[in-house]
Amino acid sequence: MSDSLLAAVSQYGAPALFAIVAIAAIGAPLPITLLLIVAGSMISQGAMNLWWAIGAASAGSILGDLSGYAIGRWGGPATVTKLSGMFGKRVRLEAMEAKVKAWGGSGIFVTRWLLSPLGPWVNLASGTAGYPWHRFLFWDMLGEISGVAVLIFLGRLFSDRVMSLYAVLGDLTWAVAALLAAVVFGYLLFKYVRQARAR
Amino acid sequence: MGKTWQRVLAVGLAFVLAMAGTFLFAYRAGRRARHIHTANEPIREWMSVPFIAHTHHVPAPALFQAIGVHPQQPRDRRSVRHIARDLNRPVSELMTELQRAIDAAAQPPGGQPR
Repeated sequence: MSDSLLAAVSQYGAPALFAIVAIAAIGAPLPITLLLIVAGSMISQGAMNLWWAIGAASAGSILGDLSGYAIGRWGGPATVTKLSGMFGKRVRLEAMEAKVKAWGGSGIFVTRWLLSPLGPWVNLASGTAGYPWHRFLFWDMLGEISGVAVLIFLGRLFSDRVMSLYAVLGDLTWAVAALLAAVVFGYLLFKYVRQARAR
Repeated sequence: MGKTWQRVLAVGLAFVLAMAGTFLFAYRAGRRARHIHTANEPIREWMSVPFIAHTHHVPAPALFQAIGVHPQQPRDRRSVRHIARDLNRPVSELMTELQRAIDAAAQPPGGQPR
């Protein structure tokens, strides 16, 4: 399916980009990073307009995020449970809600670009937790527009190295995720060792 | 060993694995980034002929000619798979022909490699 989506962006440009990014923002696991890099490369080749591409991708992702938020807020528990299981992933929304409350805007911002696989679940949890919509929109727009712009500019800069750049970004994302896990486990380790010694 | 120390051991192991993962992926990213300008860009089915031409620094008309296609418009953005379907030919065959044309452009007969 990824090949068909990439071919659609290559052939139809910004409208295809808008639609695919919106669907991904609701929760479908689609290769958005690669799509945005390809869009950047196409801009460099003169096949797509820079501002149209940034506008379409940002608008699509914000629309998808707001749909997720609206489902969480007004869709009711049955719809939320159904949607969270639709794409093969069931997340503990209660745990995610607690994180949304604890992290607030910074959590929404970071899950737009760095921890993007968590984005759709944070959208749902923000809705169910009753996070104010205007604050959600502010952090969502900030994160999405900056994330989209960075990837498109990188694609434009390395327009003839699309697949290599994608591989580098993939490894970097895993490195950052592993580092975050190390920080969490390091903190837990420190806490447990102190508890064990105190006994 | 008490339950508390078992928990310390499990979390310690997870910490070591996470650190190892951090260094492994960071090293791989660094190595790939160093060779980004010399790495071989693969041809994929979703790519259009002008896209492949751009990533391999070869004129697009030369690639269209290599697969025996007259572009439908000045910017024919059909994917290789789409062209293969239109021509009723296997995608792998077109990709091989494109790769051959790229290799030929990189090493013209009797000339120095690019």
